[in-house]
Order: sequence, then structure tokens, then C-alpha cells
Amino acid sequence: MNGKNEIIREFEYFIGPQHPGITGNFSIKLKAKGDVILEAEARPGYLHRGFEKLMEQRHWIKNVPMVCRICVPDPDPNEVLYAMGVEELAGLEVPERAQWIRVMVLEMSRIQAHLSYLGGISGALGLYTAPQWMTGDRDYLLDRFEELTGARVYHIYTTPGGVRRDLPEGFEDRLRETLDYIEKRLTDYYRLIFDNPVFQKRTIGVGTMDPDWAIENGVTGPNLRACGIKADVRIDDPYLVYDQIEFEVPTETGCDMFSRAMIRFQEIQQSINIVRQVLDRMPKGPFLNKPGNPLMWRVPAGDVYVRVESSKGEFGYYIVSDGGVKPYRVHVRGPSMTHGIHVIETLLVGQRVADVSPIMFSLDICPPDIDR
Amino acid sequence: MAIKNFFEPFTALKHLGMKPHTIRLPYEKKVPADRVRGFHSNDLEKCIGCGNCAQICTCQAIKMVEVEDVPDGFGRTKFRPQVDYGRCSFCGQCVDVCPTGSLKLTDKIVWVTEDPFDPETGWVFIPDNKKFPYEGKGWTTSPETSLLQLERQEMPERDPEERKHDFGPVIKGFTEEAALIEASRCMGCAICMQGCPTGMYIPHYLNAIEHADYERAVDIFFINNPLPEICGTICTHRCEDACVLGIMGKPIQIRYEKGFAASQVDDYRKVLGYPEPEKKNKKVAIIGGGPGGLTAAFYLRLKGYDVTIFEALDVLGGMMKVGIPRYRLPQSVLDKEINHIIDYGVEVKYNTRVGKDVSFDELKKNYDAIYIGVGYHKGLSMGIPGEDAEGVMQAIYFLRETNLGRPPKIGKKVLVVGGGDVAMDATRTALRLGAEEVLLSYRRRIVDMPASDEEKHEAMAEGVKFLPQTLPIEIVKDEQGKVKAVRYVKTKMVPQPGGKRPKPVPIEDEVYEWDVDTVIYAIGQAPDLSFLPESWLEKLELDSRGKHIVVDENGMTSIEGVFAGGDIVNPRADVISAIADGRKAAEGIHKYLSGKE
Amino acid sequence: MSLEKEQKVVDLIKVSFEDAEAEIQRERRVKVKVAPNRVFPLVAYLKGNGFKHFVAISAVDWIRDGEIELVYHLWNYDEKVHVMIKTRVPRDGGSMPTLKPLFNQAETYERDIHEFFGVHFEGNEKLDREFILEDWDGPPPMRKDFDTRLFSAEFYDQEDLESEALRLKIQPYKGHLKK
Repeated sequence: MNGKNEIIREFEYFIGPQHPGITGNFSIKLKAKGDVILEAEARPGYLHRGFEKLMEQRHWIKNVPMVCRICVPDPDPNEVLYAMGVEELAGLEVPERAQWIRVMVLEMSRIQAHLSYLGGISGALGLYTAPQWMTGDRDYLLDRFEELTGARVYHIYTTPGGVRRDLPEGFEDRLRETLDYIEKRLTDYYRLIFDNPVFQKRTIGVGTMDPDWAIENGVTGPNLRACGIKADVRIDDPYLVYDQIEFEVPTETGCDMFSRAMIRFQEIQQSINIVRQVLDRMPKGPFLNKPGNPLMWRVPAGDVYVRVESSKGEFGYYIVSDGGVKPYRVHVRGPSMTHGIHVIETLLVGQRVADVSPIMFSLDICPPDIDR
Repeated sequence: MAIKNFFEPFTALKHLGMKPHTIRLPYEKKVPADRVRGFHSNDLEKCIGCGNCAQICTCQAIKMVEVEDVPDGFGRTKFRPQVDYGRCSFCGQCVDVCPTGSLKLTDKIVWVTEDPFDPETGWVFIPDNKKFPYEGKGWTTSPETSLLQLERQEMPERDPEERKHDFGPVIKGFTEEAALIEASRCMGCAICMQGCPTGMYIPHYLNAIEHADYERAVDIFFINNPLPEICGTICTHRCEDACVLGIMGKPIQIRYEKGFAASQVDDYRKVLGYPEPEKKNKKVAIIGGGPGGLTAAFYLRLKGYDVTIFEALDVLGGMMKVGIPRYRLPQSVLDKEINHIIDYGVEVKYNTRVGKDVSFDELKKNYDAIYIGVGYHKGLSMGIPGEDAEGVMQAIYFLRETNLGRPPKIGKKVLVVGGGDVAMDATRTALRLGAEEVLLSYRRRIVDMPASDEEKHEAMAEGVKFLPQTLPIEIVKDEQGKVKAVRYVKTKMVPQPGGKRPKPVPIEDEVYEWDVDTVIYAIGQAPDLSFLPESWLEKLELDSRGKHIVVDENGMTSIEGVFAGGDIVNPRADVISAIADGRKAAEGIHKYLSGKE
Repeated sequence: MSLEKEQKVVDLIKVSFEDAEAEIQRERRVKVKVAPNRVFPLVAYLKGNGFKHFVAISAVDWIRDGEIELVYHLWNYDEKVHVMIKTRVPRDGGSMPTLKPLFNQAETYERDIHEFFGVHFEGNEKLDREFILEDWDGPPPMRKDFDTRLFSAEFYDQEDLESEALRLKIQPYKGHLKK
């Protein structure tokens, strides 16, 4: 036996940038002994498109089609953040109705992002039915997005001053139908994913982090709530009309992959409730308070940090204006900047190579918002 | 747990009868949503080629290219957007800034090409409404959703009841804030420059105004207009008719913007800082001190020519002074701009009527070049019985005398005949001189009146009674030979074939009378070329109707060394056209005199 | 809207850091300006006072002043206040002490800023490791004087780009269309 142990040597693994177990184009370099990871190094940069630099070279309004591209699975927080930041700098009032519509769009986006998350993490663990179901059901939501915004993925819907178009005719009813359908399916999801012994075995107690460690290392959003900490930007730093909406912030105490998936699962229900409230309570009125001439509009000098709760955690924009027709600087603080580099590098140590991809999925790492 | 897990898979059986949604079989064609953003469709006839779409495009996917066989003309260019679908991200902002609504995104989202690099079938093409027709579904714009600034800053006016009793200005003028906001509406497409006869650099100066840099704005004005504040007050603003924002909303008030910026600068000469010109030792005579003559004088003076203006009256300004009432153009503005031009060393001979005080032959002999800008100062008559009655006068005469401070006596009930700007000026001046009731007779409908809409509205607001579709046929005199009444006939509009405007035809049996004591004719003016000796007049080429002098592209008439401009040359008959002609003639004279050496 | 808790944070900073210019920007936002060498002690002090969440470091290139502004964002989960600590370092040879001993993930942001703005962080061991840019030997690209268009015009010679497009003109597959 001793002799056999000797041949287990240290390996270097390169996972990504093209790898089915990686979210997006991202790579992790592992040093492992056998299949136990000794050291991990996250390597972003494959998606770097220089958005922050490009935004400095375009007029305020012209950046609207660009910001949503910073996060592919959950694009709307970017649009809303950019709009909110610019509005705060410019002192532009947003009509009440537009704020409610924005909440609705954000929550719809959260639902579809969580659906693809659940599909992703199950797929990484070999449950191939779940990704099929999730993708199919998410498609119904994307249909609603297409009706509302004109596009399925990059909605380009929120613009400084409000939203670009009002709700189409009959949209409320169709959205309610879709929500009812997804709500009905939640039980199926639960049984399919969380009741599954393979899923349980692979996730419970794997990839755990200590709550205090999580706070100090910048873990945010559902990942933090999975550690039992009730922190949600929607409650702590309320934006839009979230302070008028009733919803629960689910927490789990497992601190592991299972809890992280469970939080998302529960949040789908909460988001459905929020969208329903929005549909019930949304006031009538204008949806767009036009900013100035798109080519001439100057935003007063100043700087602002705005944040929203995205499906992945705290998304923040730090926008600086020097009073010109273009932003002076836009810094995008994506949740993956911490989750995807430092947190995952730490979590992977001591885990097995087979768990790399589930852990990465469980943290919901979105490489585009690291690379920006 | 174990038993539950054992039976769990069988629950999947309940999905057997369900409609599959990941793979929809039998194949269902995807029906795009109503406002889906697909390929562009552009109505090439409706598109005016302003290029806003190319300006807004984040991806720089849109390029404006010149296209044959599209309508050309006033307020449009022959450029049309060409989209590079390798770059386009289908955001639809191009649609949201389209001023005409011609550009749309269709619901066509699938397209297969064999060769993407082919110029004919490739992915770079000019969208029209054939390749991807718009069929009621897609992304379109409306005033509500447009990103354009369609609302304008209204120019504050004095209350009609208050203003109709004095000659103070009607408009109150922009506040600085309003002017800056109004200027900031400009998208910089420069379609307006086509509308301006003298081609002022409108987007450039609007940009300067938007930055509150009035000195730069003035610098831009004087490139081709030495009377910016006058134009900024009374111009016929054809630029605003061309402004693309006017299609869906209200055009930018370019005229008042110009007036505002010019009014912010007191000393043009200091701001402009033109260098002292080199002396040319050549003399140019200018007949008539109107806008055209002043403009020609200014630009010739800048080039170093010795310029002399021969003015029949004792004031400069021509129609701007004697034709336009003071409530539209204040004297202070006139003084400021005319004095600025004279300041450069232009010699003016007042009270000198060419043909009477000095002969044309003399001028031709003593001066190297002559510019004729005498305008239309002779009123036309209708030729109906009773025109010799006391109380019948020409609007031109009426306005001139009023503007020179000796208003003619008018009665309490005044009838003005005509529908142009002069008619409006006459009615409103009559009101201000104390007439109790002012009637305006016009043989066509109100919409057919050549007067500008705002003049019509202002006149109506002040209480002028419009009598469209009426035609005076006789002026009835009383025993003293004064006007007692006007007999008139109603007309009906008869449509004309070939898209011509309808013709008014009198209705024979509908003859009525108005009781009036003053009749003012404002039915048109004619040039008075009697100052020209027969021998010269013969050589002068006139157009087929004999109303205008024919000039070449340099402003030169058929007589060598004699240039002309203003009302006697072009039919537009406004100040800005006269300025354009004066500017053109100044260039022409310079070319002519330089070539002579 | 009372700004009590924000004022408390301002007072908290003023007590120990007299040289810091602290002001309330709006509800839940406090801005502090300090000298570069005071950032580390201030962050440590705030961390001890409940500011447990290190949000991010933003960098702004104020080229006209010849300085790069670093903005440290901190969030207090209990008080729900966001503090922006602003400091400026010179563009040429600017250096800051690393915050890694306080917050591990600061290292990531420091690597990012080092790569894109050229600010050195004293004590950050991973600074020289490639972060996002690969084989980059040009100037820090997020600086204002880095012209992206000029760079691509020079780097990808425009003429070559054209010929490259022609060379890549692949013969399209027509099989499925023939049927």
C-alpha cells in the first residue's frame, strides 16, 4: 500500500477557458495532489471588452445599450444601476410608474437568473433533466421580456429618466399566467433537485464558508444569506420602491452549496410575490421623464455610488461626472469580483477536482462582470 | 427516505401527457412579440437623411451613404443610413432619434446569406422597406417615446390687449436659461442650413449658444450675415421650417436663439476683431441702403474696397426701416447693427435718389462696380372703380410714413386688402394708430394666405377681423369723395387640375357691402426701375414676367459691372434672401474686380 | 429624513482623524477625504467600528491634476451606512500600502487597479501576476491618455485589417441550401 501512495504526485490542472463546467469564459489553474486541491488560482480576462473605457468615450445615453452586456445571465441590474446613478447625478426625477416597472423587470430578471442557476448547478452534478426544465421554463419568462422590451436577453429597456416603453396591452395577464406556471413548477423543481440523493450527497457540507469569514471577504447576496446572515441591499439600502413592497429575505444556515442553491430556490417564490405586488399596485402615469438631447445632455459634476441586489449579490456602480457630455469614469463593482477570485480560490483548497465546477456554479460566478 | 426515493422517479410519468416546451413538435414557427427588435426597415422616400441615427449609434454600425433615386430638395438630403449588421446590436436607439419615424425595426430576426462579404448580398446594406418590410410589428417611435427634445421653450409674448395700443415689441425675449435649453435641443444634423438662403452655420452657433459662448456665436453669424439681431427678430426663418424636430414636434426657434445671442454682445467690432483690410483703391457704388446693400457694403469694406451707399431717404435700412413696423423690429436693434456696418468706413449719401439727384451714367463712369438693391417700393392697385377716393392708400406708403414718424390719417373702420405679411403689418399698424375695427379681405382661404402663421395668429389675437374668400369690386364714395363703403363679392374655391392650388372664383349673385372709411391695399409690390435710363434698361435682362432682374451665379446682371440683389432679383422677398444676395454680390464684385487687374 | 446615523459616522471619523474631511453626501452615504498614508489606519479603524464589508476600490484618473484618485468603499451592515474614502496619489510613481492585511479581497481590486491605472500597492505580492490583460506591455489602458482608437490603428494596421477580412472570406457551406 505504501508503494502505491508514492505514485500519487502533484498535478497541475487547467480548467477553462473552454470547459463545460465553467460559467462563461474563465479559467482556474489548480495544483492538486491526486484529486485533492492544494492551491487554486483564478484567471479571468478572457471576456475583457473594456466597457468601462468605452463608456468614457460615449455620450451618457449612448451607454444604455452597452451596460447590459456586463452581465449576461442577469443584465437588468446593470441597466437600472446605470440609470439610477445618472439620475442621481443629474437630479432627474423618475416617474413613479417607471420605478415600479423597474422593480418588476429586476425581479423577472432575478427569477430567470435563478432558474438558469438551478439548471447550471444541477447540470454540473449530472442531473441533466434540471437544465432542460429550467431552460424551457425560463424561456416563457424570456417571452414576456421579449413582449415588454423587444429583446430576450439584452433588454436595453431602462434608460435614464425611466423606461423606454410602457407595458404592452394585455401584458399583465400574460405575465401573471407565466408566474402561476412557474410557481406551480416549484414543487417539481424541489423534488427534482433538492430531494435528489445525489444532489444532497454532493452539496451538503461541501464548499462551506464561515459566516464571519464570508462578511470580511466581501461575500454578498444569496451566498452570504446562505451563511445565515440576513443582508439584502433591497432592505438595507433601499432603492426604487422596494421600501413599499413586502417580501421576505430567506436565509439558510448551512453555509454550503446546498444552502446556496436553496436560497435561490426560495427567492424565486419571493420574486414571484414581488412581481405580483407590482402588477397589483403599479400606478398609472408617465413612464419616461426624458433626459436632455442625447448628444448634448450634460450631467453636473459629481460622483455617486449606487448599488442593487442582483441575483448574484451586490452590484454597484461608481459613476463620476466632470460636467461633460460623457461620463468621466464608470466603475462597475460586480459581485463576482470577490466571489470569482478570492472566495473561490479559498473555497477550492482541500476540495476534490470534481467539485470545482459545482462550487463555481454554486457561487454563481459571472466572469463578464470581473472582466467588464 | 429510501422508499420515497425509490418511487420518486415514477412521479415523472405525470409529465407524459404534457405539451413539451423545450422542443416544440410538430414544429411551431416562433411568433415574435409585437415590439421585437429585428432588422431595420427604412422608408427611403420618407427618410430625410438627417443622420441622427448614425450619430446616436453606440456601435458605429450606421454610416450615411449617398443614394440615387430618392427625393431631394428642401429639408432633406440624399444620404440614407447604411447598417453594418456585423456591428449592430439592435438596441433601437436609432429608431428613437428618427425625426420622421421612417426608420423602424421589424420583426424579421432571421436572415441567411450565402456570402456575408458580398457588397450586394452581404451584411452591410442600406435598409429599405423591401428587404425587411415593416408589417405592423417591430420597434417604432412616437413623440411619447422619442429621445428627441420635441417640446420647445415658448417665447413669452405681451398680452394682445396690451400690446395692440403701442409700438413696443410684441415678444418679450428669452431668458438666458430658456435660450440655453432651447439651443440644447439641436441634434446637429444641419438640415436647417439648406433652408437658410445665406446658409448660416446654424448647428455651429446653436452649439456655441448652448455653451453660453455668445462671442463665438457672433463670430459664426458674421461669416455670412452681418445683421444677426435683425434676422434674429424678423427673419422668415425658413431654417425652422426645415428643422427636423418640426416633423414630430416643434422646431427649434433658431431665429430667436440668434437674436438672443446677438443681443448679448454689445460691441460686435471688438468681438469680431477683423483686421484692417488692405486698401484696394477701387470704388463700388451701392444703390439702396436696405439689407442687401448693407450686406454687400460690409463684406466689400472688409475686403478693402471704397464703398458708397446712395440712399433715397434720410435713413438707412430700406424695408427693414420703412416697411417693418417697430413693434416687430425695435429701432435700437436697427441702429446697433446698421451703425456697426457704417463704422467700418462705409460712405453714405442720404437723400440721394439715383436718376434724380445723381444719374446712373455718372455712377457707371465714376465707380468700378455698382450694386443695385432698390427693393420693391411701389405698391400695386386692383384697378376697381373708386380707387381715387380719399382714404384709399397703399400699404407700402402707409407703413413707410408711419415708420418715418408721420402717420397718415386713417378712419375708425379700416379695410386692408391682401393676405401677405405686408397686409398683416398694415392691419396691426392700423390698430396701433387707433382704428377701432380692422377688416382683412383676402380672396382665398386663411390657410392659403402667404403670411406666416405666427403673424396670422398674432393679428387674430389682437382682434383683426379676417374675411377670407371675399373680393372687393368697387369702392363707394360719399359726396366729398371720401370712402364710404366697399362693395365686394364672395368667392368659391375651384379645384385646379394638375395639383395646382385652387383658384378663387367670384360667386356672381353674392354681392355685399362693408361700411369702412379707409382702404389699404396690400396686394403686392413692384420694383421701381425708373432711375435707369432707357439705354441701360434695354440692356438689362428681366425674367419672363418682367418682375425680376436676371443675375448670374456671381450676382452680376446682363450689364457688365452691375450687380443686383434683394427683392428685385429673387421672388422670396425677405430680409435673409436680400442678405444672401448681398453676400453673393460682394463675392462676385470682388471676383470681378480682381479679375480685371 | 434624518441623517442622524450618518452624522454619527462623520463624528466617529472626526474623533480619531482630525485631518479627514468627512461630509454626508446623502442618506446612507458618507464621503471622507484623507491623505494616502492615513487610508490604512482609517480603514482599520472603521473595520473595528462595524464597517465589515469591504465593497470595492475605484480609481479615477484626474489627468489634469496629475493625480489618480482611489476611492475605498466600505459598508456597515448594522448601521447601514456606506463610506467612501477618497485619497489621491500622483499619476507618476503613485504608491499605496496594500489593504490585504485588513481585507483579503482588497488584493483583487489592487491587482485590477495596478494593471489598469498603474498604481503600485506596497506589500501586495500578487501585484505582478497578470490579472486581466495578457502579455500587455503598453501603458495602463484605463488612464485618460491612453487612446483606444489610436492604439488599434497602430496595433492592427488598418490596411492589414482590410486584407485580413478578404483573406478570411471563407467559402460558405451551401449543401443545406441546395435541397
